Amino acid sequence: MQIVVILGQVLDPSGIVVKGKAGRIFVNREEYVLQPADKCALEAALRIKDTTNAKVMALPRGPLPNDDVLRQALAMGADRAVYLTTRRVANPPYGDAVMADVLAAAVEKLGGADLLLTGATTLDTGQGQLGPRLAEALGWPQIVGAWQVASRRVSESAGGRVEAVLQRAGNYVTVEADLPAVVTVLPGALKPRYPDGVRLINVYRAEDAVERWDVSDLVDEASLQPLLEKRGQDFPPERELGVRLSGTPEEMAQALADALRERVSR
Amino acid sequence: MDFTFAPEHVALRRMIREFAKNEVAPIAAEIDREGRVPFETLKKLAQIGLLGVCFPQKYGGMGAGETGYCILMEELGRICTSTATNVGAHIGIGAMSIYLDGTEEQKQKYLMPLARGAKIGAFVLTEADAGSDAAAIRTRAVRDGNEWIINGTKTFNTNGSFAEIVTVMTVTDPTLGAHGGMTAFIVEAGTPGFKVGTHENKMGIRGSSTAELVFEDVRVPHENVLGKVGEGFISFMKTLDMGRLTLGAACLGGAEAALEASIHWAKTRKQFGAPLAHKQSVQWMIADMATEIEALRSLVYRVAWMVDTGQSFTQLAAMCKMYGSEVASRAIDTALQIHGGLGYSRDYPVERNFRDARIAEIFEGTNEIQRIVIASNIFRQHGVRIRP
Amino acid sequence: MDFTLSEEQEMFRAMFRDFSTKEVAPGAEELDHEEKPPLGALRKAAQQGFLGATLPEDYFGAELDYVSYALLVETLAGDCMSTAVTLATHVSLVAMSILVHGSDAQKEQYLPLLAAGEAIGAFALTEPDAGSDATALQTRAAPDGDGYVLDGVKTWVANGSIAGLYLVFASAPDGITSFIVEKDTPGLTVGYREPTLGLRGVAINTLYLENCRVSAANRLGEEGQGWDIAQRALDRMAIALAAAGLGVSEAAVDTAAQFASERVQFGVPIAKKQAIQNYLADSLIEVEALRYLVYHAAWLADQGGDLTYDAAVVKTFGAQVARSVTNRMVQVMGGYGYMEDYPMARKYRDARALSLLCGPSEFQRFIVARHLLAQKDIEITP
Repeated sequence: MQIVVILGQVLDPSGIVVKGKAGRIFVNREEYVLQPADKCALEAALRIKDTTNAKVMALPRGPLPNDDVLRQALAMGADRAVYLTTRRVANPPYGDAVMADVLAAAVEKLGGADLLLTGATTLDTGQGQLGPRLAEALGWPQIVGAWQVASRRVSESAGGRVEAVLQRAGNYVTVEADLPAVVTVLPGALKPRYPDGVRLINVYRAEDAVERWDVSDLVDEASLQPLLEKRGQDFPPERELGVRLSGTPEEMAQALADALRERVSR
Repeated sequence: MDFTFAPEHVALRRMIREFAKNEVAPIAAEIDREGRVPFETLKKLAQIGLLGVCFPQKYGGMGAGETGYCILMEELGRICTSTATNVGAHIGIGAMSIYLDGTEEQKQKYLMPLARGAKIGAFVLTEADAGSDAAAIRTRAVRDGNEWIINGTKTFNTNGSFAEIVTVMTVTDPTLGAHGGMTAFIVEAGTPGFKVGTHENKMGIRGSSTAELVFEDVRVPHENVLGKVGEGFISFMKTLDMGRLTLGAACLGGAEAALEASIHWAKTRKQFGAPLAHKQSVQWMIADMATEIEALRSLVYRVAWMVDTGQSFTQLAAMCKMYGSEVASRAIDTALQIHGGLGYSRDYPVERNFRDARIAEIFEGTNEIQRIVIASNIFRQHGVRIRP
Repeated sequence: MDFTLSEEQEMFRAMFRDFSTKEVAPGAEELDHEEKPPLGALRKAAQQGFLGATLPEDYFGAELDYVSYALLVETLAGDCMSTAVTLATHVSLVAMSILVHGSDAQKEQYLPLLAAGEAIGAFALTEPDAGSDATALQTRAAPDGDGYVLDGVKTWVANGSIAGLYLVFASAPDGITSFIVEKDTPGLTVGYREPTLGLRGVAINTLYLENCRVSAANRLGEEGQGWDIAQRALDRMAIALAAAGLGVSEAAVDTAAQFASERVQFGVPIAKKQAIQNYLADSLIEVEALRYLVYHAAWLADQGGDLTYDAAVVKTFGAQVARSVTNRMVQVMGGYGYMEDYPMARKYRDARALSLLCGPSEFQRFIVARHLLAQKDIEITP
């Protein structure tokens, strides 16, 4: 069984401070970490690998500045990892919409897959598009926002199925899909394992541990157009300070009722 | 000169830091309060291969070298000195003694399970009358056919009360003393006659075990001689040298933790209308602390590089231990002072770090011994022989 | 200048030594391990008149001069710093404050009780946001009829759980004011013991004041006089704490020197090694300097007058010496200095408190610098 995991990176939030008043994000320490939801997706893939003879392959969410998250994936137990390079530096179009087509082509170049896992949301942009768009591009069923993932062989002839547990309004719902399928995983769902120490050392020492493909080998890069254009950024307005009520309970209740009435009528 | 860490060491540090934050930090106060060894942490460290961080992969280790081991000790020392102590005794002197002097068979039989963390190791030397004067040990090993019989009592031993494989220093020829009269043996726990005595009640590192070990007619096969009969002294000097460097790394971690805590408190705590960070007294303390830490860091990793590239390092390792322990003590004392009364309260980690840090100037060879080692080495290079 | 102790002071010192060896030393380790206050020793101390050490005989005190009192604290601290600090809090911070600032009625009501040890005194000044900056007090004393209602939280109250009366500092309309609050006054609750690194035999508690009503007769001094009362109390306490630092340092050197002369390594007692000799010598030099500084400060206290500057000097130096000497002596004892079954580890932990208690060394330095720079017409703030 072949599992593909899509991984991205994000600025470590503990190194940045958002100051609404200054209208800026201050980067005190520039360090990148694996997207937390993607890390859970990788963990889900590795858990399936633990109990079957599945192979796990890691692809990036786009052309990343370096291959560190892919090496981390190998250290954690992935069998293969591919880094995407691009010559298109000016006006790079690599949003989720465009990457869905690029990654679909990459999956084909890998020889296809039975299951594709990625994070259901990104920490910095809060985007959840990549999984669903990839499912459309590949023509596969999609399960979005899974809490747990397991693969189950229903019968040899019918191919496999993937079973996922989702949270819905305080309940757990189990959903199944025929393979091949795309499943996106929520952050915090699974506790990701630590990388295996020996694998870690060997992966980071081997310069060629991660394969390198160029985007132009997968699609007609020149024809790619970005879907979104960022025109500016704003911070939400500052929260008003609350008002402290005092007095007897009766007095406070009256003051509160008056204040609420006044706000409603504003 | 390239002062950057190799990519594998950067990745290793990141992993260990996350591990320390998630697995070690949450129980650090508890193990101190309860005076218990965190066996669960040792198991988790073993699972990812960290208990053999510096040993070659062919012996079940991780192959990250002394540099990798220093990184482990630094990151653990930053969070919990007790945990760093347990790990350091296992890797740095327990397993290390077998790595340095073991035969291929001994490495396969004993080093592999230690490197994998399947078993825990310890190094057993000190006795009631042989502390700094390690050559004054009296535990006796007498040959009997194909076996040796060991009798004696060892004190102040770390890990010995629960380790499965221990390296024990004995006297095999009392007439020869240190030169020719001492031999090291590998002894497995459960060997009849090998018992655990009293447990010490320590001021700090209470999450580690310090105990008396008793050997009553303990029989070990001749194959368990570590190194050569009569060459135990040389053996243990080599082992302790390695241990000193990494203790310096653990002290580096402790000092860094003190600095971070001080900065955080200085930012947060207001007195006289402003955060403490605006007071020159505090600024001077922070600046001095940070400078010593940088100096220590450079020293430790340079010596680690020397070990990894096969260079001689005895004197420098002693400097790492001596300077590291004193830097850490100064840093944590200053951190306590910056925290004021709250630094004296057990509700804050500074107090525990203060108690923990103090042992570093004493164990693994007191700083007085380190100074003798350093001075002896220096004078020997100039033709003068010094005796302790 | 006569640097000798009087015959009477020598006699007192011998008496204190005898008392401490019999009544304080044996229980010291247990107090530390169990974290319980030295009630037994206090009872015995009361019988000797030590709890009214510097109080006049009219109030059943022992009417000791301040130098003799310093000798008492020094001697007790050598065996048990917790006992010394407990006693000094009671005498210097509380009893003496009432003596110096109290009305005749207050003196007659409270001093005999304190002298007899029927009530132990506790000092409640510090708050969570008012440490070094004690003028930032948030505990309020709201006038209420002919009395006041106290509201607030006090932390690090020495003798908190064993006290019969508390000297509480609060913000009244006319400024910081001090109050004598008796133990069972409604609205006064004693919280848990602060878990500490050392001085584990001192009852250090949090105090909660909620709608705690006291009469005007409980006010010590005038409204707005509280800060002055606190400062003078802390000045007296500074001398006592420095004496405690002296005592613990002397004891540490003696214990370590004994150890060094018995511990044989490399064929000789370690006392024969120059490095050990240097540690002992450096420590003794510091102790000697501290000794005369302490006795001088105590002598100044007997002369009357403003003690603030000298108190700051002696407290800072006392804390420094105690820290550095106990640290060196732990090193002399090696592993045995780290084991709680030997007394050195406790002395090390106890001594560390001196640079933090009752005004940290940083604040004392400010007082010293302020004193000097005032002579150059420079005004400074902390």
